[in-house]
Amino acid sequence: MPGVPLALSALLVVFLVLPVLALLLRGLNAQFLPTLLGPVVLDALRISLLTTSCTMVLTVLLGTPVAWLLARYDFPGKTALDTLLDLPIVLPPVVAGVGLLLAFGRSGLLGAPLELAGISVAFSPAAVVLAQLFVAAPFYLRTAKAGFMAVDRDVEDAARTDGADRWTVFRYITWPLASAFLLEGLVLTWARALGEFGATILFAGSLQGRTRTITLAIYSALESDLAPALVLSAVMVLVAFTVLAVVRRLGSLHTPR
Amino acid sequence: MKKKLLMSTLLLSLGSASAANLTVFAAASLTDAFAEIGQAFDAKTGHTTRFQFAGSQALRTQLDHGARADVYASANNAQFDPLVKSGLVTAGQPFLSNRLAVIAPKNNAKVQTLADLSKPGLKLVIADKAVPVGDYTRRMISAIDKSGAYGQDFSGQFLKNVVSEEPNVRQVALKVQLGEADAAVVYSSDVTPALRPNVRVITLPTRFNQSASYPIGTLKDAASPEAAQAFVKFVLSGEGQAILKKWGFLKPQ
Repeated sequence: MPGVPLALSALLVVFLVLPVLALLLRGLNAQFLPTLLGPVVLDALRISLLTTSCTMVLTVLLGTPVAWLLARYDFPGKTALDTLLDLPIVLPPVVAGVGLLLAFGRSGLLGAPLELAGISVAFSPAAVVLAQLFVAAPFYLRTAKAGFMAVDRDVEDAARTDGADRWTVFRYITWPLASAFLLEGLVLTWARALGEFGATILFAGSLQGRTRTITLAIYSALESDLAPALVLSAVMVLVAFTVLAVVRRLGSLHTPR
Repeated sequence: MKKKLLMSTLLLSLGSASAANLTVFAAASLTDAFAEIGQAFDAKTGHTTRFQFAGSQALRTQLDHGARADVYASANNAQFDPLVKSGLVTAGQPFLSNRLAVIAPKNNAKVQTLADLSKPGLKLVIADKAVPVGDYTRRMISAIDKSGAYGQDFSGQFLKNVVSEEPNVRQVALKVQLGEADAAVVYSSDVTPALRPNVRVITLPTRFNQSASYPIGTLKDAASPEAAQAFVKFVLSGEGQAILKKWGFLKPQ
């Protein structure tokens, strides 16, 4: 094998792997289980699981129709809409947080009507979900749209000529054929939602057992008690690895062989 | 004559060589005052001073993990003394004291008096307990509790109303400035000219208030120890203290 590329590759691989190893070495110690079962870590895990689950449900419910419409229909302003929906992917999360606060906060654009309706979003678990939805749903939209576009239209047309209505075609043809894409998008969305930090701390604040997700708990623990921070970091490494493995597997399902 | 000239050239060159780049880690509450002190100090000495402002506990963690700095100014001793004990910071000295202030948005009348803070359904924002001001805040509510002035379970009700525990005092103040919190506990020095148009200060009886003492010290392995010491001296000098007073801080006790 050529020497120089090999040496450079080794350098990069070591650089990328070393911090991960360090996290696991420090995090997976004798204190791992007791710390994992402590209230700080359990609360953070519970909040993260709960909020990301809500985010997933909302993403599928609201994102699938949008992705389907964008893949199937042409209308004026479609490109502009497409770009707008991608915007949160490139927007810094802190900016997203400020935007959410200025839109849904008490003195925000929709603040007064929401307040009248008795709904107060900021600093609630709902705010965590909205922050996650805002920064993460576009990942699902993108992959789902690609999935719907990859479905062979002839198959759908054939089903329609055989008398299937629009919903039946979607349920039994389009959805299954695109499902590998949809799942991949969902996993990516979930990972992004799980790691959300900037928008959450601005819009939802940070309160243990209510809005303090795993990432916020790591940040706050780093400033007082390192042990939970290290345990949570190790948990995040394991979760991230699993997510990537799943995405890889799903990716191999829909690549043409 | 020639010797004298040589000496003065040497001194001059030494002088210019000692224009240092100084890094100061300082509590978030010092943001405005230290920015001004830095300008005055630089103008006087020719040094270049840069600041990192954050919650004292965050700065302490960074210093513990090898962050390079020349001076550390903390908002309490709890986040300062451990660094002295571990030998990272040379013994410090108090350079100012500060008081707490309860603030509320100007256009929101939900909180009028201290007693209102325990009314159900409020949104209070305070600092995390590791943040100095968060620690002082908890001391304040337990002092109120002990006095029994506002009922048996004032602190329980108060803490039930807390919707966020923020990483530093300026984030706490921001939530009131944005109108998102009904009230918050900050330092009186945080009610800066920039914040004042947006907030009301709620009277906090002296017996409940907490005195925050800020220590300052130089780092043991400061890149330019002399400049670091000069900065500390400047903060303690009449000129430095005048700037601190202007920004609402009190004399060290």
